[in-house]
Amino acid sequence: MYIFQKCYEHKQYKNGLKFAKQILSNPKFHEHGETLVMKGLILNCLGRKEEAYEHVKRGLRNDLQSHVCWHVYGLLQRSDKNYDEAITCYKNALKRDRDNIQILRDLSLLQIQMRDLEGYRCSVLEAKGELFLALGRTSDAAKIYRELLQRNPENRSYYGALEKALQPSTVDERLRIYQEIREKFPKAILPQRIPLDFLSGKQFEQAVDAYLQVSLTKGVPPLFVDLKPLFKDKEKVQAIERLVMGYCDSLKQTGKFHDTEDSPVQPASSLLWVYYFLAQLFDYLSQSTKALHYIDAAIEHTPTLIELFVVKGKIYKHARDLTSAYKCLEEAQGLDTADRYVNSKCAKYMLRAGLIKEAEEICSKFTREGVPAMENLNEMQCMWFQNECAQAYRKLAKYGEALKKCHEIDRVLLQILPSCFNIGGLVKECYISFGQHFSEILEDQFDFHTYCLRKLTLRSYVGLLRLEDVLRSHEFYFRAARCAIEVYLHLHDHPLTEENGIDRIDLVVYKRAFA
Amino acid sequence: MNIRCAKMWMHSMWEYFLLQPEDLMNMQHCNLLCLPENYQMKYYFYHGLSWPQLSYVAEDEKGTIVGYVLAKMEEDSDDSDPHGHITSLAVKRSHRRLGLAQKLMDQTARAMVECFNAKYVSLHVRKSNRAALNLYTNTLNFSISEIEPKYYADGEDAYAMRRDLVSFAIQSSITPADKTTFFSVKGSEDKKKREEERRDYD
Repeated sequence: MYIFQKCYEHKQYKNGLKFAKQILSNPKFHEHGETLVMKGLILNCLGRKEEAYEHVKRGLRNDLQSHVCWHVYGLLQRSDKNYDEAITCYKNALKRDRDNIQILRDLSLLQIQMRDLEGYRCSVLEAKGELFLALGRTSDAAKIYRELLQRNPENRSYYGALEKALQPSTVDERLRIYQEIREKFPKAILPQRIPLDFLSGKQFEQAVDAYLQVSLTKGVPPLFVDLKPLFKDKEKVQAIERLVMGYCDSLKQTGKFHDTEDSPVQPASSLLWVYYFLAQLFDYLSQSTKALHYIDAAIEHTPTLIELFVVKGKIYKHARDLTSAYKCLEEAQGLDTADRYVNSKCAKYMLRAGLIKEAEEICSKFTREGVPAMENLNEMQCMWFQNECAQAYRKLAKYGEALKKCHEIDRVLLQILPSCFNIGGLVKECYISFGQHFSEILEDQFDFHTYCLRKLTLRSYVGLLRLEDVLRSHEFYFRAARCAIEVYLHLHDHPLTEENGIDRIDLVVYKRAFA
Repeated sequence: MNIRCAKMWMHSMWEYFLLQPEDLMNMQHCNLLCLPENYQMKYYFYHGLSWPQLSYVAEDEKGTIVGYVLAKMEEDSDDSDPHGHITSLAVKRSHRRLGLAQKLMDQTARAMVECFNAKYVSLHVRKSNRAALNLYTNTLNFSISEIEPKYYADGEDAYAMRRDLVSFAIQSSITPADKTTFFSVKGSEDKKKREEERRDYD
């Protein structure tokens, strides 16, 4: 085979034919598939097309399991511009020899030639839609976005783009777009939710009334956070407050949302969810007393619902009562010890209250056994915890510990910041053994360079490069940097002495930093 | 709430907005808040770079990730049927009852069929995790395929579960990457393959 390939690549067609003849004249290899197809390939190059096809077909029939035979048949088809057939042949060849680079390369060339972009259907549609919009071909764009919505009716950007394409001139026209989609996808939330953003007055009130009722009957805990963006509009907050307060009175008296004939009787849980909603609403409006009143009413109604204690904790937090806040979360956590989300919130509230040991202990319920929780959280790059921890230490004036936590998030904070503040060289080895997550993530890139080229996932590779270029714009980095800067500034303004009662680790760090 | 494919980098064709959210990092944050099984960033990148079409996120109006599904294709198995695997699925407790898990999983399943011809999708769940087991069985059409003893680091057994994607594709009229192999039935598969090859050839 190798000889044939050489002859073919170097265009020594005559030699190739000679070798083929030698092999095929041996009665044992008279019908040897791979030789036949190579002979065919060479004949094709010599312009003897009919003979070429005859040989290749015969060769393939004699050896259907050979990737060479399929590959050559593909090459022949390609030379005749039968690209679809060629793709099928290459695919068959690949089934026999999965990692054959040459075949993969030939196939990918053809697929690009044919714009056979099956692997990226969704992103191809998205790109098409954007292009049509940019070209002003609005009806083409609308068609694409309807197709995209068919696939995923919960993607907000598709609705925005569809509106751009359809250019509704009145609110009613705009509303109709959503009603139409809503009929098609009755379970989708967005076609019901988005109109609340642009409706106003009576229309808004009617729509939000229906939206609230459905969610309150069903008991959807995120109802409040879902509607929160509407509260920027004063009129809308007032309308919602009026409505839900109305439900509250009416439910207590009649068991219905509205005291009318056609309003259906509600399950007992509806009142609970109304209390829950009102508590969050008054908390948002900074009326803590009212908020606490409603959350207590809810807890009295159903004393075992975790969500209620989480909200109660939040109300205390917003009222700056951090101790009562964490106690609520502790209670919530106790109601379902298997839920890490509540556990995490509880730890966060403890840190806010300055209870670092307690927070670590709570976290340890979900970290690997036999390893200190802090160590495991660091290993897993649990940056929210480390940031909260750093803040807690800073507030407790444990500056050394605070800096240590910041540096776990990134060692750059350790290297660059001290010099920025012109406070001497901070010694690196001090915390070099810790996580330094951001630096680590940047270093992780290295392995992906060759990996992506091999995998040919070039689009996401470019995405990775762009991401890594601005990685430190991430909120977690900002928070850690800010905390470190605050500590360094404080230390600069208030130099520590051995007498003013700081713990040992602080002094070590401090001496190294300011030596 | 908004559901969309997870991206390494947010961009439109025309502009790259700087300082945009990094889905995979925020996914890791969501995972650490919600689940006991955690992974380093590198593992998220590995998913995003190998199968960029398969992972989805649900975000609130501020762009905070409130749920995600991290998924991949299973490549090393002897099973000749291509199939997907759910590495991790989480929805914050504060965002339950919106059907987000189901919507995320359906988007991922669709992409698995369209891009990789996946015939089924698999996952592991802790034996003790009643809530998750309930969700997978009753809402997401998974069924237990086997028990994997001591699958988790702490010694707990896992249920290996599967969801058939062929019937899902038919129900939702999804076009698979390669119709012939996708709809072929195992067993008669070899025969069909041969027929198909004959057809290609003639």
